[in-house]
Amino acid sequence: MNNLLQFVIRYSAFLLFLLLEVVALLLVVRYNENQKSIFAHSSSKLSGNLYKMADDAIQYNRLQQTADSLAGQNAQLKEKIFNLERSLQRLVPADKPLDSCLLEPYKIIEAQVISNSINQRNNHFTIDRGWKDGIKTGMGVISPHGIAGIVDQVGEQYSTAISVLNTAARISAAIKRNEYFGSLIWKEIDPAHMLLEDIPRQADIKVGDTIVTSGFSFIFPKGIFIGTVDRFWTVGGSNYYTLEVRLHEDIARLDRVYIVEFTDDELTPE
Amino acid sequence: MNTTSLKHIIRAILILLLQVLVLKRIGLSTSWLWQYGDIFLYPVIVLLLPFRISRHYAILIGFVIGLIIDMFYDTIGVHAFALTATAYARGLLLAYLEPRGGYQLSMSPTIFSMGLNWVMTFTVFSLLIHTFLYFTAEIFTFVYIGQILLKTLITLILSMLVVMGYHLLFNPKS
Repeated sequence: MNNLLQFVIRYSAFLLFLLLEVVALLLVVRYNENQKSIFAHSSSKLSGNLYKMADDAIQYNRLQQTADSLAGQNAQLKEKIFNLERSLQRLVPADKPLDSCLLEPYKIIEAQVISNSINQRNNHFTIDRGWKDGIKTGMGVISPHGIAGIVDQVGEQYSTAISVLNTAARISAAIKRNEYFGSLIWKEIDPAHMLLEDIPRQADIKVGDTIVTSGFSFIFPKGIFIGTVDRFWTVGGSNYYTLEVRLHEDIARLDRVYIVEFTDDELTPE
Repeated sequence: MNTTSLKHIIRAILILLLQVLVLKRIGLSTSWLWQYGDIFLYPVIVLLLPFRISRHYAILIGFVIGLIIDMFYDTIGVHAFALTATAYARGLLLAYLEPRGGYQLSMSPTIFSMGLNWVMTFTVFSLLIHTFLYFTAEIFTFVYIGQILLKTLITLILSMLVVMGYHLLFNPKS
């Protein structure tokens, strides 16, 4: 017993080191297994507030650029709405008011990215909206020029999202021209490219083809422009193509984003 | 609480702020280098602890600082793992690099007390351990050993520049 005590005292620094390393590794493993970690993320109030303050200061430089980009998007959206309403009016019998025929399964919440990363293996970003604003885990995050990620941890005022540049992200995407679809993943190539896998061999692909979201999952609505095909290849005798997709959105410069909420119940016809 | 510990605490807070608000953002520019590396200044908090501090405290401080960084980087446990090991290695390195006359225990390992060459040796070994373990824990398999080594090398060079820049610019005395 005395010997044991002496041993513990003698090597106490080493034992403490081992203990803390085991705790750290447990955190790593637990976190890798499922995204429900017990630990505070940057969706917590402390880090969220700090990031928010820093972002506010930096925001100021980009106001003009942001305003221009928003005006451009507004114009595009207006055009889309008018066209859609016009075509709906033609389709809908005249005695019914237009409103009752419109489905509204999607709701959009705008948010601001206050912290971001691109050079890690699993990248995340933090947005300044939380459950107070109706954010829930699993909602899609889209950006002005493409898709950005999927909401992961939700705090009161801030949330973190898995970036598309994350080895855990799998997004259902399709070739716009012929609607062949596969899953879009990131393999740490570089922050500007992702891989679209499982496109059947008979698909006719050209470099420069447009890749859009497929709409098969409810995370992202159908037809959001993701990027264009840079090159494509097959591995060995595989029956599937792998496509390297150049992202249209520069993930490093994420700023304003939109959270997509999908409410299923409105899909059922009245 | 005496003035020295207060000084260390304030310095730790300032370095943490610099790390998460400035150095983390530098990684957001898309030039090729940043895809592979990061810049770590925060290990300097542990490296600058006074010689006389007990190894237990150093290890505990390393763990806590690592967890704080993890919170901001969304990498739960990874930084904590690396910095705890660095804090433990600090004790071994100090014993290994001990000059003939021994250390002046109230001092910290700075250029002021130990000279530039000694500080560079101490820093480069500590940062090597830190970055290597960081990327090992992040990738979590030795299958990608090439990638781990590449990232370690680039991050080590960048971090070394920043840490030595810190030493030369601010020339901390304690």
